[in-house]
Amino acid sequence: MNTILSGERIVKSFGDGAERRNVLDGVSVEIRPGEFVSIMGPSGSGKTTLLYSLSGMDRVDGGRILFEGRDLSGMRDDDLADLRRRRMGFVFQQPTLLGNLDLLDNIILPAVRDDRRGTDRHVEKARDLMRRTGIAGLERRSVSQVSGGQLQRAGICRALLRDPAVLFGDEPTGALNSASAREILDILSEVNAAGTAVLLVTHDAAVAARAGRVLFLRDGRIDRELELGPPDGRGLEDRALRVSEAMRELGI
Amino acid sequence: MFARILRNDLRRGRLASLATLLFVAAAALLVSLAGTLGAELSRALTALLERATTPHLLQMHSGPIDLPRLQAFAAGRPEVEAFQVLEFLNVEGSAFEFGDRTLAGSVQDNGLSVQGRDFDFLLDLDGNVARPAEGEIFVPVFYFKDGAARPGDRVRILGREFRVAGFVRDSQMNSALSSSKRFLVSPADYAALRDRGSIESLIEFRLRDPDALGALEAAYVAAGLESNGPRVGFPLFRMMNALSDGLLIVVLLFVGLLVTLVALLCVRFALLAKIEEDYREIGAMKAIGLRVSDIRRAYLARYAVLAVPGALLGWALSFAFRGPLLANLRLFMGEGGAAGAPVLGLAGAVLVCLLVLAYVRGVLGRFRKLSAAEALRFGAPRETARRPGRLRLAGGLPLGANAALGVLDVLARKRLYGTMLAVLVASSFIAVVPRNLHTTVSAPGFSAHLGIGACDLRADVQAVGDIPGRAADIAAALAADTEVRKSVVLTARAFPVRGKDGSESSLKVELGDHSVFPVAYAEGRAPRSPDEIALSMLSAQDLGMRVGDRLPTAAGGGWRDLTVTGLYSDVTNGGKTAKAAFPGGESPVLWAVVQASLRDPSRSREKAEAYGSAFPYAKVSSLQEYVSQTFGPTIRAIGSASRISLAVALVLAALITLLFVRMLVARDRVSIAALRALGFRNSDLTRQYLARSALVAGAGVLAGSLLANTLGESLAGALISLFGAASFEFAADPLSAYLLIPLAVAISALAATAAGAAGAGRIDVAQTIRE
Repeated sequence: MNTILSGERIVKSFGDGAERRNVLDGVSVEIRPGEFVSIMGPSGSGKTTLLYSLSGMDRVDGGRILFEGRDLSGMRDDDLADLRRRRMGFVFQQPTLLGNLDLLDNIILPAVRDDRRGTDRHVEKARDLMRRTGIAGLERRSVSQVSGGQLQRAGICRALLRDPAVLFGDEPTGALNSASAREILDILSEVNAAGTAVLLVTHDAAVAARAGRVLFLRDGRIDRELELGPPDGRGLEDRALRVSEAMRELGI
Repeated sequence: MFARILRNDLRRGRLASLATLLFVAAAALLVSLAGTLGAELSRALTALLERATTPHLLQMHSGPIDLPRLQAFAAGRPEVEAFQVLEFLNVEGSAFEFGDRTLAGSVQDNGLSVQGRDFDFLLDLDGNVARPAEGEIFVPVFYFKDGAARPGDRVRILGREFRVAGFVRDSQMNSALSSSKRFLVSPADYAALRDRGSIESLIEFRLRDPDALGALEAAYVAAGLESNGPRVGFPLFRMMNALSDGLLIVVLLFVGLLVTLVALLCVRFALLAKIEEDYREIGAMKAIGLRVSDIRRAYLARYAVLAVPGALLGWALSFAFRGPLLANLRLFMGEGGAAGAPVLGLAGAVLVCLLVLAYVRGVLGRFRKLSAAEALRFGAPRETARRPGRLRLAGGLPLGANAALGVLDVLARKRLYGTMLAVLVASSFIAVVPRNLHTTVSAPGFSAHLGIGACDLRADVQAVGDIPGRAADIAAALAADTEVRKSVVLTARAFPVRGKDGSESSLKVELGDHSVFPVAYAEGRAPRSPDEIALSMLSAQDLGMRVGDRLPTAAGGGWRDLTVTGLYSDVTNGGKTAKAAFPGGESPVLWAVVQASLRDPSRSREKAEAYGSAFPYAKVSSLQEYVSQTFGPTIRAIGSASRISLAVALVLAALITLLFVRMLVARDRVSIAALRALGFRNSDLTRQYLARSALVAGAGVLAGSLLANTLGESLAGALISLFGAASFEFAADPLSAYLLIPLAVAISALAATAAGAAGAGRIDVAQTIRE
C-alpha cells in the first residue's frame, strides 16, 4: 500500500526505574498521501506523544518510523530539523508565534532560513495564504494586536508556506471559540482537499468528524479505527454522531 | 519539605548558585579587608604621629641660620607650643657601606641625624624613642624592607664603623615618596662626622592647636625667615604616610564594589530565569490564596542560603589575607592594635550580604504585577513591550535569517540587553584603562610630565664646594665623549621674587638652555629669552601667577619683571621650582644638573657607572634607573594591576554573558521550542544567539574603548596628579588599546554565548510546546 508516513510497533516510555511506563506500547500506524486522520483518546492515552513521535520531534524508544520511505529513528537531529522544515507543517494549540516579528515575518520564517534571496517569492505566497485564510491586511500587526483565531490562522499560513507533505495539528482549535474553530477546520479541510495529508490530535468529536479515519488510543495502544469515508465536508453532523458513539462505546 | 525544595532549586541552578556564592564571598572579603585595613591604618597612623610627636610645621633650610631670630619668632607666637632646630647631615650614598654594598645607586637623600630634643622622635620597632649609644646606629625602616641591613650588621659611614642597633620609624620621612631618609646616631658620633657632609636644618614647630597651622605659616613667610628648602605641614605628613596603604584601601573598596555589582548581576539573571521557569507555579500559589509576601519569602530564603554563608566565608577568608596586607602597614607604622578592626570587617561583610538580599527583594517586586490568571493561562509572562520594529525579515536578509532574527530580537528588547551592554562597556573599560595607564607611565618620555627632561644620563652635583666648576668639568668630559649626542648644564640658584599679593619669597630657579631636554608643559612653553621664566605648578600656585603674568624678580643687581611663559609639573625638589634662561650672576649655586643623551641609549647604565666613578662627588644615574628607582614600584604595581584587570574583565565578560544567555534561553524556551519544531537546527539557534551577542558586544566594546580613552584618561590623570603630574595624556598602544583588548573582550563574550546557547538544544521541544 502507498504510505507517506508509517509507524511500526512504536514504543515510547517516560520515567525512571520502577516508575518507568510505556506511554506508547507498540503502536503501528499508516498514513497515505492526502489522507485526513484524527487521533483521539482519553487524557494520558498517548495521542500527543504519538503525534510528536511521528513528526520526529520526540525520539522513540522502540519500533521505527518511516517518512517518505526514510527511517526517522536513525537520523541526526539536524537532518530531522531539515525534514520538518521542508516537508512537514505544524499547527499547535497555542500558536507559538514569535513576539518580536509581525505576522507576515512569522509566516515566512521557516522559508527564509534556507532561501534568503527568495524572500519576495515567500512574501507573495504568504500574502496569498493570508488572503485565503481571511487575515489579509494584518501583515504588519504584532502578535499582541490580533485575536487568538487570527493568530491560529497565521500559524496555519506558516505551516503551509512550504507546501508540506503532512500537516500535523495538536488540538489546533482547543483554545478557540466555536465560530473561530469552525472556520479553522474549514481551512484545514480545504488544505486536505488540495492534497496535503493532515494528522490531527483532538478530543472533540466535531473536529474528528472532519477526518476520513479516526484512531482511538487507550493505554498506549490503538484500541479501534473508525472509517468515516472521504473527508469531503459533507454530512458532518452524521459523522460527528458516529464518532461520539464510538467514544461512548470505548468509554472516552 | 521546604528544605527539599531549596536543595533541588540550588542543585538545578548550580552554576548561578555557585557564582553568586563565590562573588558574594569575594565582595565580602574585599570590603571587610578594606574595613579592617582602614581601621588599622587610622589607628596606627594616629598612634605613630602621636608617639613621634610629629612637628606641625617643618621648614627645611640649607645654608646658615639665625637661631636667635628664629627663637624670638617662636617665642612671640602664642600658638607655638614648642620649637626646635634639628640638623640633617646630608651624606652621599657612596659613603654608606653595608658590607660590600653601598647606597651609591640610591635616589634618596641619605643623612645622619640625632634624636629630637623635645619632639619629632624617631621610634624603634617597639614604638619607643630610639637612643643609640656611641658606635650604634638605627637604620630607617625603609632599608629594613629593602633588605639592606639586619640588626647586628656592621655599617661604615664616611669611614666610621657602626653596629646596627635597630630600625627606626620616621613619621616625617617613612614613605618612599619622601625623598630623604634619616639614620639615627648618638650625639658624639654625630659631632665627629658633622663637618664631613652638608648640613640641612630642620626648623620645626609644634602647635597648641593644629588648626593654627595656616596662620603660623603665613606669619613665618611674612617674617622673611630662613626658607631655602621645602616647607611641609602636618596634613602632608599624615597624607604621605597614609598614601600607599590608603591607595590599597581605595583599590580594595573599588574592586569590592565592582564584585558586589557582579554578584548582583548574577542574582538578577539567575532570579529572572528562575521566575520565568516558575511562573505557572507562582500563579498557582497566588491563585490558591498565598500572599505575595509569603511567596517572596520563599525566594528570599533561597538567596539568604547563598548570601549569608558567602558573606561569612568572605569574612573568614579576610583573616587569612589580613596578615600579608597589614605587614607593610605594621612595619612602617607599628601595631595599631585596633580592637574594632575585625568588627568593622564583619560590618563590611554584613553590608554586602544585606545589599544582595535587598536587591533580591527589589527584583521580587515584580510578583505583585503578575496576575494569577494570566500566569496560569500563558505560563510565561507576555511581554507587552515586545513589538516588532522597523526592521523586517520581509524587507530582505543581507546576512541571512539567523543574523536577522538575532538583530531583530536585540532591537525589540533593548532594555533587556541593556544590562549585558553595560557589563561589556564596563569590562572593556576596566581592561583598557589600566593598560593605557601602564603603557603611558612606562613610556620613555613620561618623566617629562614629572619635571624631568627626557635624557639618557643625569648627573646631580649638590652639597659640595664649587658646584659650577665641578659641573663644568663633567660637561667638558661629556662634550669630549664621542658616544654623547648632546648635553646641557642647568644650575639652580635662589632669587627673591614678589608674588601677586606683594609678598616676597625665595624661588629656586634652574638656569640654562631648557630647549635641549624639555619637560612637558601643562600650559605654555619653555623660557627662551632672558626676560622669561617658567614656573612649576606649585610655585605658580604659591605666587598666584598664570601664563602671561609678569613676575618681579631680584636678579642681576636689581628688580625686573619676567614674563611667565609656561607651567610644568614637578615632583623633584619639593615641587616648587622655576626655569629660566638668564645668566645667574653672583648668587650662590644650590645645585647643578648635567643632562646628556647618548647615541646608543641602551648604554646609559654603563655610562652612568663610568661617570659615577670618574666624578665621585656627583650622583650620576641613567634616567631609566632614576625613574625606575623613584617610580619603579608604582609602575610595576600598575603593570600587575593592568594584567589583573584584563583577566578580571575577560572573566567578567564571559561569566555575565554566560549567565545572561542562560537566562534568555530559560525565558525564551517556548519560542526556542517553536523554532526547533519548525525545523530550525540547533546550530541555527546558536547563530541567532551569537548574532545578538555580536551586536551587543560590538556596541559594548566600542563604547567601552571610547570611554576608556576619554573618561578613562581623565580618571587616570586624576590618579597621576596625586603623584604630582598635572598634564596627562594617554600614550596608548593603539594595537592593544583599540584592537586586541576589545577583541579579546568580545571573543570572551561570544565564546560564553556559544556555551550558554547550547542549552537551547537541550530543551525538550515536545514537552515545552505541550505545556
